[in-house]
Amino acid sequence: MIGELLFGTVFGLLLLGIHRKVIARIQRRPGPPVWQEILHMLKFSFKTTWVPATASAALFVGVVLVAIGIWTAALFVVLSGESLLIIFAVYMLHKIVEHGFGLSSGSPYGKFGGVRSVISAASEIPLFVSVAAIGLFTRSLMISDIVAYQEVHGPLLLTVPLAGLAMYLVVLSKMPFGPFSIVESKELVSGYKTEHFGVWRAGLEVCNGLKTYVLLTTFLLVFVGSLPFLLLLLGMVVLTVSLSFACALCPMLSPYDSVTVQTIIAGLMLAYVSILVVMP
Amino acid sequence: MNEIGGVPLFFLEFGDIVAYFSPFTLTLFLLALVFSVFVIVSRPERQIDIAFGADAFFAKEISLPELRFRRFMAIACGLACMGAMVTGDVFDFTLFVSLVGICNVGIVAAVRTYHVQDAAYQYGLVALAGTVPLFSAAAIVAATTGTLSMLELASPAAPAVPLIARALLVLGVMGEGMAPFYAAKAEMFRAPGAPYVIMCSLSSLLIFLRVTEVVLLL
Repeated sequence: MIGELLFGTVFGLLLLGIHRKVIARIQRRPGPPVWQEILHMLKFSFKTTWVPATASAALFVGVVLVAIGIWTAALFVVLSGESLLIIFAVYMLHKIVEHGFGLSSGSPYGKFGGVRSVISAASEIPLFVSVAAIGLFTRSLMISDIVAYQEVHGPLLLTVPLAGLAMYLVVLSKMPFGPFSIVESKELVSGYKTEHFGVWRAGLEVCNGLKTYVLLTTFLLVFVGSLPFLLLLLGMVVLTVSLSFACALCPMLSPYDSVTVQTIIAGLMLAYVSILVVMP
Repeated sequence: MNEIGGVPLFFLEFGDIVAYFSPFTLTLFLLALVFSVFVIVSRPERQIDIAFGADAFFAKEISLPELRFRRFMAIACGLACMGAMVTGDVFDFTLFVSLVGICNVGIVAAVRTYHVQDAAYQYGLVALAGTVPLFSAAAIVAATTGTLSMLELASPAAPAVPLIARALLVLGVMGEGMAPFYAAKAEMFRAPGAPYVIMCSLSSLLIFLRVTEVVLLL
């Protein structure tokens, strides 16, 4: 399990590096090398570190551990084929992590980032819709059962494409430099993570790598089914590149517009799942 | 029982009321516990505010009496959350959820800021109104099925829970702090005291996650 955890972290960071590279090339910039995020994590690990004088020390440090802890748990849930509802829970609780990062420092930039994270609560609804739609079709929320269902009935992406789109939007809303990345937009310096530097930032990078790996793996397992390992990795790269195109071509929305668009999407997705419930 | 949140790991019986720990409820319980520990051991941050019209800033301090009261309310909120996460009884769940709503108001009500108190008051009204559908749901479940035990209701032989009861349960939880009634609550986050304020958002998410499981289970 430790090996899988390390691999997930490094490969997730590599995916984020590919994400940055693709965005840069679309925007006709050279961009950083694809392993830049891994170098960031290593660099921050050895930087001088302390806790700001205005921070709530225990929360400032503890929230980094919680961030790594919840995504580590999520990785084990995916690997052991446990309930998709736990992934849903971890995804939602990541918002608390962002909130905790932002509030604990005492910095107004972090605070704004944290509050923006909380107000964009509607971004989780499409994930709930995905989970509900999958549950309706497969009659189970266990990832192992969902994978087994697809071996018999074919990929869920073809059966419930809109649920797949909903989850794709969920992943998109968590990708950096995307249309919904208001929590870390540049007018807030780095948003919720502004004051977390040194080892704390390295911990956050680990969390981001794991989060990316877990979300993309979940997407492929739940909507495409069981794949050979190399094909799974290739699928994750393809998904990342498609997300990078979406991020590069869509401007970052203002906080108000971001919440409005997410709420509209959530409303449409709820209507979709209601139709699925009513229709035999 | 239906294994929506994974296979139950163990049951904790209090007479006829049974708390159960599945991978899902255990995850939520542990998170409520971890953040409750943060509330106990953390000192609040000194929130920095920029003075508009001048090149200056100031740090907000929380007085000791205010700190004590808010910490007490945040711990109570954490305990209510932990109860709501693992209880296997519909009525207990509604009780814990309404207690979360009351504690959330208490966490920020001691802050002497107009906007925060106004938001706390508005949220208090919504949370109060939210208890009506919440307890109505429990009453309808008891009246139509003769039991409030989630474990019994989840068995295939149990009578079906009316859709209206599930809808009222969700509506009640939404009233306690989820979107779209979140608008008043968002303003509450202006308040300083990160370890306490974070309990407000954590408790909302936790009860929303739990009600998702409860509704799918019934």
